[in-house]
Amino acid sequence: MIMDLVRRTIERYVRLTDDDWSRVAPCWTDHAFSKGALISKVGEVEQRFYIVKSGVQRLSFPHDGEDICVGFSYDGSWSGAFDSFVTRKPSRFDVRAVTDSVLFGIAHADLQGLYDGLSVMERFGRLILEELLVGRATREIEQLSLSAEERYHRLVARSPKLLQLVPQKDIASYLRMKPETFSRLRARRS
Amino acid sequence: MDATNLIDDLSATLRKQMERARLVRAMPAEILLHRPAPEKWNALEIFEHMCLSSGIYLRGLERVFDERASALPFNADFKPGLLGDYFTKGMLPKEDGTIRNRMKTMRMFDPPRNNGASQESIDRFIDLCGRFLKLLERARSSDLNRMKVSSSLGPIIRFKAGDAFRFPVAHQQRHFLQVERTLEAAHAGH
Repeated sequence: MIMDLVRRTIERYVRLTDDDWSRVAPCWTDHAFSKGALISKVGEVEQRFYIVKSGVQRLSFPHDGEDICVGFSYDGSWSGAFDSFVTRKPSRFDVRAVTDSVLFGIAHADLQGLYDGLSVMERFGRLILEELLVGRATREIEQLSLSAEERYHRLVARSPKLLQLVPQKDIASYLRMKPETFSRLRARRS
Repeated sequence: MDATNLIDDLSATLRKQMERARLVRAMPAEILLHRPAPEKWNALEIFEHMCLSSGIYLRGLERVFDERASALPFNADFKPGLLGDYFTKGMLPKEDGTIRNRMKTMRMFDPPRNNGASQESIDRFIDLCGRFLKLLERARSSDLNRMKVSSSLGPIIRFKAGDAFRFPVAHQQRHFLQVERTLEAAHAGH
């Protein structure tokens, strides 16, 4: 029931037998974060890798007194400070709940245990890493080659819901534009 | 009032609150995040609010206990201060379990406007109760009249140590009623 989402999410990449699932399921726990709560903090090692059940979360890092937003996560996507989770070094990112959020999380040791014990889970690990890498590359190209206006239209096309759920200043920061530029684009569109 | 009786009563109430908090901690994420109305707090935010408010008294008490508690002889009588007694009585629920006077939360104690809330807020609350209990044990051989602590209303209003226990515990009692109402609404809505 409640864990169906975890199984469905993993099965987007690999097929699990019921036997596999009976070993995977107990490793995941649900976590509630009320609007505004920090899920991961700069300077602390990320304890878990998350799948989002509900809500929107924002990934950002502090720079020159500003909070620079580098991404969002929402229903069915991954969340957390992944680089810190992998390296076991203090996180360089904050992850904050933009809206009330429910996340399923797995601890680092548990995920390693699954990688070691189940080859299907090791394949899952490799596939999500590949996906994350491709995602980063795409965003890098978009950041460096598209105009502010094009970046905005890409975002509207890809995740229209985000515009309703996330404060404008966060989206502007994510698109690397001034809040004024963002509201001008938004006004022109409607 | 008899100091030993007071210490016993406060300790018993704190133990009950801790026990209830542990049970609430284990509830599903959705229940903990349920808002009875959009502008109302969910259960996690009520716990976070208790941490923010009671934390002021706890830190004040820990400081003054470390400085003075062991130097003061036991005083079997505790005389509540005028203001401490007034505010504590205003906080306590009536005999029939209803709340006396509704009040507005000060900005600094409002979780959504600060750092949100999560299940960690309940962990911190449990820890806080444990620390109050430890201080109450030390109070059995000290004087709750002669140590003073700044109140959450600011440093101008100072409470006697006895009141600095009574007030937050009464405030927590009040908010446990709210936790129960919030959880009832959550169970009804699911």
